Formats: sequence, structure tokens, C-alpha cells
Amino acid sequence: MAAVRDNVFPTRMNLTMTKTRLKGAQTGHSLLKRKSEALTTRFRVIVRKIEDAKLKMGKVMQNASFSLAEVAYITGDISYQVRESAKHATFKVSAKQENVSGVLLPAFEKDTQQAAGGQFELTGLGRGGQQIQKARAVYMKAVEMLVELASLQTAFVILDEVIKLTNRRVNAIEYVIIPRIENTISYINSELDEQDREEFYRLKKIQGKKKERAANAQRELDEIAKPTINDGSLHPDFAGDFTSAESSSAGVRDILAEQVDEDIIF
Amino acid sequence: MGAYSTANSYSAYASYTRTVLSASAASLAVWAGLYLLLTGRGERFDVGGYLLRLSPYMWALYGISLCIGLSVVGAAWGIFIAGSSILGSAVRTPRIATKNLISIIFCEVVAIYGVIMAIVFSAKVAAVQSTNGFSRSDYYTGFSLFWGGLAVGLSNLICGLAVGITGSNAAVADAHDQQLFVKILVIEIFGSIIGLFGLIVGLLVTGKAEDFSVS
Amino acid sequence: MNEIYFNADAGYLEGIVRGYRDGLITLPQYLNLTQCETMDDLKLQLATTDYASFLQNEPSPMSTSTLSARCTDALVAEFQYLQQNAAEPISKFLDFITYGFMIDNVILLITGTLHERDTHDLLEKCHPLGFFDTMPALCVATTVQDLYSTVLVDSPLAGYFRECLSAEDLNELNIEIIRNTLHKAYLEDFYTYCQGLGEPTASIMAEILMFEADRRTVNITINSFGTELSKDDRAKLYPRLGSMYPEAQTRLARVDDMDQVKAILEQYGDYKTMLSGVGTGASSGGAGGDDMSLEDRFFAREVQLNKDSFEQQFHYGVFYSWLRLKEQEIRNVVWVAECISQQQKDKINNYTPIY
Repeated sequence: MAAVRDNVFPTRMNLTMTKTRLKGAQTGHSLLKRKSEALTTRFRVIVRKIEDAKLKMGKVMQNASFSLAEVAYITGDISYQVRESAKHATFKVSAKQENVSGVLLPAFEKDTQQAAGGQFELTGLGRGGQQIQKARAVYMKAVEMLVELASLQTAFVILDEVIKLTNRRVNAIEYVIIPRIENTISYINSELDEQDREEFYRLKKIQGKKKERAANAQRELDEIAKPTINDGSLHPDFAGDFTSAESSSAGVRDILAEQVDEDIIF
Repeated sequence: MGAYSTANSYSAYASYTRTVLSASAASLAVWAGLYLLLTGRGERFDVGGYLLRLSPYMWALYGISLCIGLSVVGAAWGIFIAGSSILGSAVRTPRIATKNLISIIFCEVVAIYGVIMAIVFSAKVAAVQSTNGFSRSDYYTGFSLFWGGLAVGLSNLICGLAVGITGSNAAVADAHDQQLFVKILVIEIFGSIIGLFGLIVGLLVTGKAEDFSVS
Repeated sequence: MNEIYFNADAGYLEGIVRGYRDGLITLPQYLNLTQCETMDDLKLQLATTDYASFLQNEPSPMSTSTLSARCTDALVAEFQYLQQNAAEPISKFLDFITYGFMIDNVILLITGTLHERDTHDLLEKCHPLGFFDTMPALCVATTVQDLYSTVLVDSPLAGYFRECLSAEDLNELNIEIIRNTLHKAYLEDFYTYCQGLGEPTASIMAEILMFEADRRTVNITINSFGTELSKDDRAKLYPRLGSMYPEAQTRLARVDDMDQVKAILEQYGDYKTMLSGVGTGASSGGAGGDDMSLEDRFFAREVQLNKDSFEQQFHYGVFYSWLRLKEQEIRNVVWVAECISQQQKDKINNYTPIY
């Protein structure tokens, strides 16, 4: 796996650029990590709230529908009457947005229009009016609860998505991008080293050739003018090292060629 | 509101009957009195004398007819009071129907008292052979049969009503709770004894009366 | 003397109605009902009651509203049997009982008409006991005058509408006021009628109707706190009868909170005990238990009065009482059903048992 790397030309400029990218990736990683942590914290809070709300919701809804049963017990069926006398909404929901570490969470808020309330306040005047008002209050609470739960639930879903996304990014950076960049860097480094060594070898060779030529010239000269001096030939150990390095580097290149980078996300 | 007058119930029946009876009696008396007075026979408007002049047979047979008549009215009335309640209650609890026949029988007994007394009374009635007209004893027999008959008849009427009403109670109570039947039956028996009292008194009253003198 | 004549017209019906009374669900049966875990169990338990024939054809997952509807059907069937067998004085009395339902139906139709609902839907919602021939024609009326002159003048309710002809137009507030005015007029009329029936109907019905009037008075007072209903209007809605008329009513018309009501009702032994321990808010429905609401206490008292009327024979009160008890029973059954279906077992005993 260490082989995954960018397909770049191993130059010094690319090395610098890649190093900058590594730095960037690391900064991004830590930032994303922090974001994810922040979101997770938030998420946990919401989950806890949702759990509470849902538990409470059950109770509240049960109470509400039960209070309706009480109304039915005392006054009989008033649903029609209530339905007909309701003219405008007394309970409105407005949506607003909340920014949590760059994530826009919708939050629902109730618009209290209590001033207009009490439309069917005369329903059940002769019997059961109190129960009706009580049921109304209980249901009001239940709806409030419902709105709260709805906004929590939406936030939950959105946050869940975002956290997954962020975590994916963090992991991608941590396990794909950074290793790849590091690989690239080490590849460039090794390539550059090899180039250096080749250069060195070449220089040596040239030097040798030059010396040979010079020696030949000298010999010719010597032959002409007699004296020859053997001087500064390449050390045999060094030369062996060089060739082995070259072969290993070739091996590396083969594997690289086989593995095409499939990660198209980044 | 006007609509109510039609619905003014039983007390309306009762008061209506009372009014009609008393009004017709009064108008009859006034008419007879005025008739006699205006035809110059005012001295004949003499209730006491009229009653004295009435034949003992009249008294005796009135007594007998009142005895059986009122008894039968009482019995019949009682039967319909008890009967309708038994009928209604038996719709839901059919078991009460046979049991509560006893109420009907109690009512019926009242009529039987009347019949018995009427037979006893009528045994005293016979044609008077004497040429001297009615004797003192005949008059006594006439009066005693009348009042005895009236006593029996009225007591049987009331007894019939009483048994009917308790019978109706018994039916309703029995339908509701089986155990109540016997308890109410005891009351009913007490009610039906009232008729027996009348019967005894009737017998006593007429006991001393001789048959119409055949001699 | 009443006993002698009563059975001529009503003996059979009285027997029938007393039979119906014996068919009311008793306390042991209620206990069985409350033990049920599901609606099917409940249905099974109800099979031993008079409702059996009305419930047997219901498909198994039975909702409480269906239950309620079927029970009402049972009630209506029984009542209609009485009506069909009734002769004059008693048929009039039974008709009087139905007027209360008629008023509610009329109000329902008016409300529906106001919102332009379909007449047929509305008629389905009407209480079957309150049907009268000209009822479907109600939907054409838009003002109270129209309503009166076209439809109601021929109905038995005509007399009651005279009082509220002054209402200018039909809106929610007015409709509710009309409803209560009608009920008030009906109650007064029924009372006068019963007084004309002679003893013992008069005194027995007087007790029940006076209680009904008192209950209306207290309820209207309590329920009108903090509403648009003016105090003059409130006073107009009080029935002109009952133990609170007129002295306590004039005082009740001016009060603003529960404590004042309590203070005024101090002098009435029954209502004093009823109101003590009742807060301003109505608590859960219930009998037996300290959390009884005022309504529950009223129900308990109503049941008691209606039960008492069965203690006497030869009077019409039993018919009215039976209907009220039956209504209460249906409420109880539906309550138990509701508790079972909503899994609220802790409140299941908050019904008002009858026998």
C-alpha cells in the first residue's frame, strides 16, 4: 500500500509543492477532525434531547389523547363543533436556521398567537367546558412538543449526514491523502536521490572518461613524451552500490506502473 | 301552556270522574226538587220519607248487585293494574310470569268473595206471601242486605285495587330481584285480607236478618 | 289515586323500562370489563350485556368510536320501542325527552350550514333520537328569523326559539348562546309540563330537573370565566328554576372565579360538599378517589337521583331516569374502552358506576 502515490514528475519543485500539499492536508485534517468532534458533541446532545423528547412525547401524547377521551366522557362528541368553529390557526410554526460549525440546522419555532386563542371557549358551556379547555391546553403542549421534536429530528438527520461526511473526509485525509502525499514525497526524494547518484556516476564516468582521454592523451604524449600517471579512478565498491540502487529503484517503478490511483475523490 | 291540558294524566281522570258524578247527582237532585216544588207537590220533596217508602226488595237487590258489582270492578281493576305490570316486566324476565299469576288470583279471589256474598244474600230474598205487606223483619232484611252488600262491595273494590297495586309492585320487584317476591307477597296477602274483613262484616250484618217472611 | 290509573296507559311500558334498567351493567360486570386487556376481550365481556346483539357483527379490531356508536344504537332501539308503544300522556312525555336531542341536532345543522357543509353528512351526525321531519330543511336558513319562520315554527322547538329571536346573526358565539338558551327554555318547559302531570311524577321530575338546572347554572358560571360572554348574557342563560333560582343565580351572575362560586354555594349542603376539594381546573374524570372533578361529582349525583326515581312506582320519571342512566352507562363503557385501547389502566376505574 505504501506504493500509492501521485503521478508527478519527480522534480524539486514538485517536491516543494507536494510538501506544501502535505502541510495543507495535515492542517485540513486537524481542522476537519476538530469539526467532526464539535459536530459529534452537538450530535450527542441532540441524541440525548431526542431520547428525552421521545420518551416525554409518548407520555404527552398519551395524556393528550386521554384528555380527549375525558372530554368525550363528559360532553360526548364535540369534534365536529370544534372543527367548525376553528377559523384560523392559533398555532403556527416558523422555520429558522442555526449555524453549528458551518452546518445549517433548521430549527422550528412556534409562533404563539395566544391573543387570538380561545375561539371555541364557549363550547361545552353547559357541560364540560373545563374539560374541553384542559384538553385544548394539553394538546397545545403536545403540539409544542411535537414541533420541538421535529426540529431536533431534522437536526439529527442533517447532523448525522454531515458527521458521516466529515468523518469520511477525515479518514480519507488521514488514510489516503496523507500517505499518498508522503509516498509521493518519498518517491520524489528517492527519485531525486537516484538522479543525484546517476549524476554523480555520470560525472565520475565523465571524469573517468576525461581522465582516460587525458591519460590516453598523456600516454600518447608519454609515448611521445614517456611519463604516464594513473590517478583518481572510481572505487569498485562504490560502483557496485550504485548499480544495486538503480535496480531496486527500477523495481519500485514497476509496481507503481501497475497501480493506477483509483481514488477520485481527492 | 295549552298543550298540557291533554296530558294532565290520571289525577285528571280521577278529578274528571268525580266532577261528572257530583255534578250529575247535584243536578238530578235540583231537577227533582224543583220539579216537585213547581208542580205544587213541594211537600213530597222528602228524602227521609222517600227512603222509607222504598220497598225492602229494592234495598235487598241493590245490596246484592252492589256487592257483586263493586267486587267485580275491584277484581277487574286489580287484575289490569297487576296484569299490565306483569306483562311489561315479563318481557325481560319471563320467569316472573307464572309466579306472579298469584297476584291475579288474589284479585280474582275478591270477585269470588263478591259472588259468594251475593249468593248468600240472595238466599234471603223470597217472595212475600203475606197480605199485610212488609213486616218489620222484612224491612230489617232489606236494609241489612243493602248495607251489608255495600260494605262487602266497597271493601272488595278497595281490596282489589290494593291487591292490584301490590301485585304490580310484586311483579316489578320480582323482575328486579327474585328475593323480593316473597316479601311483597306477604304485603299482598295482607291487602287481600281487607276483602275478607268486608266479607265477615257483611255476613255478621246480615246474619241476624230473617228471610223475607213467607208466612 | 294515581296508582289506580297509571297502569292503564303506562303499566306495560313501565315494566319494560324497568326491565331495561335491570339490563344496565352492574358493578361486578364493570369490574370484569376493567380487567380486559384488549378491545376483543372487552367485546367478549360485553356479549353478556344488552349490547351483545349490537356488537356481534362488528369486525374484530373495534374502535372506541364504533363501540360508542353501537351502544348508542342500542339505546336508540330501546327508546324507540318505548315510543312506538306509548299512548298519549306518556308519548308526550317521551317526546319531551327527545327535545333535548333535537336542540343539539338543530344547533349542529346550523353550525354546519354556516360553514356550508353537505347536508347529508350533517344528518348522519345527528343524534337519532332528536330527528324530526323538517330537520333537513334547516340547511336553507341563514338567519335566526329565517330558521324560525321556515322550519322551526312547525317543530316542537318553536316555543323555545322565541327567546333567542333577537340574536342578529349566526356566529359561533351566538350559536353557543342559542344552544344554551334553547336548553334553558326546554328545561323550564319540561319542568312546567312535569308539574302538570301531578304527583308523584311532578315531585320526582322536579328533583331531577332542578338538579339539572343547578348543574347548568354552575357549569355556565364556571365555564364562562374569562370568555367573551358578558355577565348579563350569562345571567340570561341560567334556567329560571332549581334551588339556586333566583337568589343565588343573581349572585352567581356576577362572580369571576371559583372561590366566589364556592362562597355562594356554601349555603347549599349538597353543592357545598360537591365543590369542596374541587380546584379551578377540572381534574381527570373519576369516581371514588379524591381527584374527582366537579363534573364527575355532578354525574355521581345525577346517577343517584335517577336511581332514586326507580324507588317509586307509577310515575313517568323512570323513563327519563332510565335514559339518563343508559347514557351514563354508554359513557362508562366508552371510557373503559378508551382506557383499554390507550393503555391507561390507572384511570380505568374513574367511571361512575350505576348499580
